[in-house]
Amino acid sequence: MKSPLTIPAFALVLCNGLCVHTALAQLAPFENALLPDSGKLPLTAGFNDVDGAGGAGLVPWALITGYGTANSWGANAHYTAIQLRDFRLRSYGVAVGALDRIEVSATRDQFDVTGTALNGLSVAQHIYGLKVRVFGDAVYDQDSWVPQTAVGVEYKKNSGISNSAAVGLDGLVSPTQLGALSDVGTDWYVNATKLFLAQSLLVNATIRFTKANEFGLLGFGGDLNRNRSVEFETTIAYILTRKFAVGAEYRDKPHNLGVDDERAAWDVFAAWTPSRNISVVAAFVSLGSILAPVTKQSRDQNGAYLSLQVGF
Amino acid sequence: MKAFGRPARLVALSALMLMSAGARADKTLYESMGGEPALRAALDHFADIVVADDRINFTFAEANMAKFKQLLFEQLCNLSGGPCKYTGRDMRTSHVKLKINNAEFNALAEDLYISLGQAGVPYRLQNKLMALLAPMQHEIVTK
Repeated sequence: MKSPLTIPAFALVLCNGLCVHTALAQLAPFENALLPDSGKLPLTAGFNDVDGAGGAGLVPWALITGYGTANSWGANAHYTAIQLRDFRLRSYGVAVGALDRIEVSATRDQFDVTGTALNGLSVAQHIYGLKVRVFGDAVYDQDSWVPQTAVGVEYKKNSGISNSAAVGLDGLVSPTQLGALSDVGTDWYVNATKLFLAQSLLVNATIRFTKANEFGLLGFGGDLNRNRSVEFETTIAYILTRKFAVGAEYRDKPHNLGVDDERAAWDVFAAWTPSRNISVVAAFVSLGSILAPVTKQSRDQNGAYLSLQVGF
Repeated sequence: MKAFGRPARLVALSALMLMSAGARADKTLYESMGGEPALRAALDHFADIVVADDRINFTFAEANMAKFKQLLFEQLCNLSGGPCKYTGRDMRTSHVKLKINNAEFNALAEDLYISLGQAGVPYRLQNKLMALLAPMQHEIVTK
């Protein structure tokens, strides 16, 4: 029989664990740790942020993605679409969580201009993430103030700007031509997540060390600032039922580029997890003004966020 | 004058909310959940749900369900501030032979959530009870 490793990862995730379960049961009937247990409680696996990490919409959490417990593993695929006033961001990728300890993710972000004189311009990036839970358990440690704490790294590679000729910017192929110092960058972060179960509240705080301009979509570093800066991110969610939560997020971003009056991003969201195999997050999101000096459109880029996550 | 009006009203409102929160705190979680009738009803549902739950029903294969329900009632009543004494064994001793893993612990928690809901306990209060039970994972899960 065909090894599950040869099946494309996306298809593997989309079959909801069932075929993985069956395939692995046949391959290794005695190695139970290889079987996904889908053992976490609904909602406690979180979702995927725009960088592909386990978290909410904009901010990674210290929770390890997927429904596998410390005895097992889990995985998911996500597709997220954000339609702003003049831009559209689409993010899709896969993430695997193992032993409730390690998370790896691969994501592609595509950012299209859908309004202003730059309508049609497009830029994309790939993001590869690794997160390790260091200590604490957000769910079980209800008798302690210690949050679940994780460290993470995200390697981001911008794959360039396309369609520039169509908007009269012939030859514009890289964010480095807009003042960015590089088209690759690495973010480091530390985060702490605590579920205050008696209050039905989840609180997350993330400190990120980053050079990324607009998440990396406009490259890394720039004419205003060459180095990494320390940025603060937070999520607060109120859990209304076992499968439904509402919350808000805030994510500071650097301001490295003269051509981009970059500001913080925020959102208010509702998340629904009808089963451990599927989650939907809808939000009202603002990414602040984007490329305002170039587009001559200085109003904040606000809009709708919709994300679908499938996994086990 | 008007500039002071709104903050003053907010302070007064906050004080009222704090007072009402204090008044609520006088009532135990046990009473808020509906006391013995609600908890007994929840545990009746719970016993039915766990024996039908393939993820964990084998751990109850040799259990005396009436005794199990009584002990769990005592424990939940005691934990939530009710007038009960728990007469069972400690969590580690009573579970060690079952070699419970995390998925089984969570499945039981999920079934208890559903049972409490069926007994009319609001989700907010289910979480307050679960917050008292969650740390038991450290004693119960041995695999």
